Amino acid sequence: MKLYDYILSPSCYKVRLMAALTGVKLDLQPVDFHPGLEHRGPELLALNPAGSIPILKDGDLILTESSAILVYLAAKAAAEWLAGDKPEEAARVQQWLSFSGRLTTSLGGARLHEMLLRPGDIDALQAQGISALRELEAGLVEQSLRGRRFVAADRPTVADIACFPYVALAPDGGVSLDPYPAIRLWSRALRSLDGFIEMPGIHRLHELKPEPLIETGEA
Amino acid sequence: MTAQAMIDEWYPVGLFSQLQPAGRQTALMGEPIVVSSDADGNATVTGGNGRSLPVLVRYGHVWSSLGQPKKALFPIPEADQPGRRFVDVGAVRVRCSPLRAVENFLDIAHFPFVHTDILGAEPHTEVQNYKVEIREDVDEVWATQVKFYQPQAAKSAAGGITTEYMYRVPAPTCSVLYKTCPPRPSEWDVITLFVQPLAEDLCDVWPWMALFDDDTSMTDLIHFQQTIFLQDRSILENQIPRLLPLDPGMEIPTRADLTSIAYRRWLKRRNYTYGAQLVAQ
Amino acid sequence: MPSDTTGFWTPVALSADLPAGTVIPARTPAGSVALWRSEAGRLAASADRCPHRGMRLSHGFVRGEALSCIYHGWSYAQAGNCLRIPAHPGLTPPETIRVAIHEVAEADGVIWVAAGVPASKPPRLDGLTPLRSLTVLAGKDAIETAAGGKTSPDGLVETAAGAGGVWLLAADDGQTLVHVLVRDDAGTKDRIAASRAAESLRRRAENLQREGIVQ
Repeated sequence: MKLYDYILSPSCYKVRLMAALTGVKLDLQPVDFHPGLEHRGPELLALNPAGSIPILKDGDLILTESSAILVYLAAKAAAEWLAGDKPEEAARVQQWLSFSGRLTTSLGGARLHEMLLRPGDIDALQAQGISALRELEAGLVEQSLRGRRFVAADRPTVADIACFPYVALAPDGGVSLDPYPAIRLWSRALRSLDGFIEMPGIHRLHELKPEPLIETGEA
Repeated sequence: MTAQAMIDEWYPVGLFSQLQPAGRQTALMGEPIVVSSDADGNATVTGGNGRSLPVLVRYGHVWSSLGQPKKALFPIPEADQPGRRFVDVGAVRVRCSPLRAVENFLDIAHFPFVHTDILGAEPHTEVQNYKVEIREDVDEVWATQVKFYQPQAAKSAAGGITTEYMYRVPAPTCSVLYKTCPPRPSEWDVITLFVQPLAEDLCDVWPWMALFDDDTSMTDLIHFQQTIFLQDRSILENQIPRLLPLDPGMEIPTRADLTSIAYRRWLKRRNYTYGAQLVAQ
Repeated sequence: MPSDTTGFWTPVALSADLPAGTVIPARTPAGSVALWRSEAGRLAASADRCPHRGMRLSHGFVRGEALSCIYHGWSYAQAGNCLRIPAHPGLTPPETIRVAIHEVAEADGVIWVAAGVPASKPPRLDGLTPLRSLTVLAGKDAIETAAGGKTSPDGLVETAAGAGGVWLLAADDGQTLVHVLVRDDAGTKDRIAASRAAESLRRRAENLQREGIVQ
């Protein structure tokens, strides 16, 4: 499976993260998104006329839209990441997959503006981002009151992976994560999963490894 | 803080390869400027009141100044060396002092914690003694014999190696790093950090590289450097205060910070204080 | 917020939001703090700034009984003294390297940080269980108007009809951290209702603040 990938793209990171968590091997094809704008070049537009990445190619199959790619990876390799057959759970997975699109436009838009100098109404993007974070925070509080640690179930699903990257990288767009305790606990639970990988802007949880014994040279 | 002493310096304001006739609006030390190309494809830079600002094109970037630069842009002889590949990494905006961005670039002790498993990894955290000097003849800060164990020092590195570094600060918001070149041990890879001060607490950082590496794709080289810099960015945006404190009582350095100590001393001596905080607040 | 001449307590977070081995940012009238709980469960609050390079310590990590800065890994004990500088493994950090610390208290599921030296302990919240904390971009007056109640000397506001639970306020400049409390015997349905009512009250308080109806 070949992923057209940009290391700084949270949407591409969703796919890399999902693959890492489910043990799927990806062949990464780096795209010069910044500063080269290669995603808007003829070769990639031929694969995805929307001019966006990620794009996943598996044999003759070409998939775009990160949520669809997450579902594809999970269905192939680890069905427990999909919704089970309970109606509420199925609906909640869809709810947060749809919601993740709003994170992309709001927090993602603010991040592109603040970091990579893309145009946009930064005040509006940040305000929309804060509204979305408050919704997620409230959703996670309710889940925890129902005894569930993740957005759709008591186990992580594709919906968590769809929401996590833009939320974790909100500060890149000038939106603080300080006011959201439930998001902090959820983010920590995801970052502690076996096989979790980071992207630039999300630091390693160094506490997951014990403090090393350090040999001193010429101190 | 005054911009006076720094106003006559050259600053990066854009990539030459991305110049457009329509122009790009940006800023230099608080003044809105427009960087564009004229009918012959030459770079022009226009200041806030429509006046033409000094321009030169070097190291892949357009350089300009709000004042009257008294000297030529600092030399990087490796930029003219055959066989090197020149990498325009592109701008990343950071909400921090341009001086903080440079100081972070001069620091190796953060590698294991911020660039984990790439430029450093526990337990290899020790910073060995190295040499630092302010070279009065060229008016530059130099750190030499800097050594650090790196799991993946460059895109071209196959595994962990002890990398040797030399750092150079030839201008208040620019630094040049010379680093062990894995495919060609007799040469140094050159990695620079050119910082455009937009305001005292806001900057666009333009990394640029001149490498010996015939195998790695240009996109991979760009992404490697963007990865490193984006890991630093979340640190830079969370340092308090945003300005670089030049008051020695504000922050506590150790022997590992000798380059930073020399850099701060040099800034203070030259009155390069745009982006600095002189007195603790 | 109970106060006396020597100091006072601010409720900064809920116990459940700070598991062992983690650090979180918190706001107090005395400035931002890094609030952390060691692996053994001991609570501590330090200034949210590493004295080495000014990095926020709340971005750091907790290993064992120490808080470490994410930038260079400098570690601090609960008492604020520097324990370890990874760049110099052989060095015992001098006593002069330390972070300012604040007294912390924990009771009834709420964590309090002291400004100064309070003469008494933080108030007890008998019969109440904390549900969640939320930040309201409005001052105390707007919140009282929205909630339809007045703040008690202990910082508690009874929301009208009790639907939004009881609010414990920690006011700051222009924004207020609200801890929503419910009766100990409230069931899941009531708790979810109280959380939703708190969201509604926040919207009203922020509208009041925005429209300048209350200061």
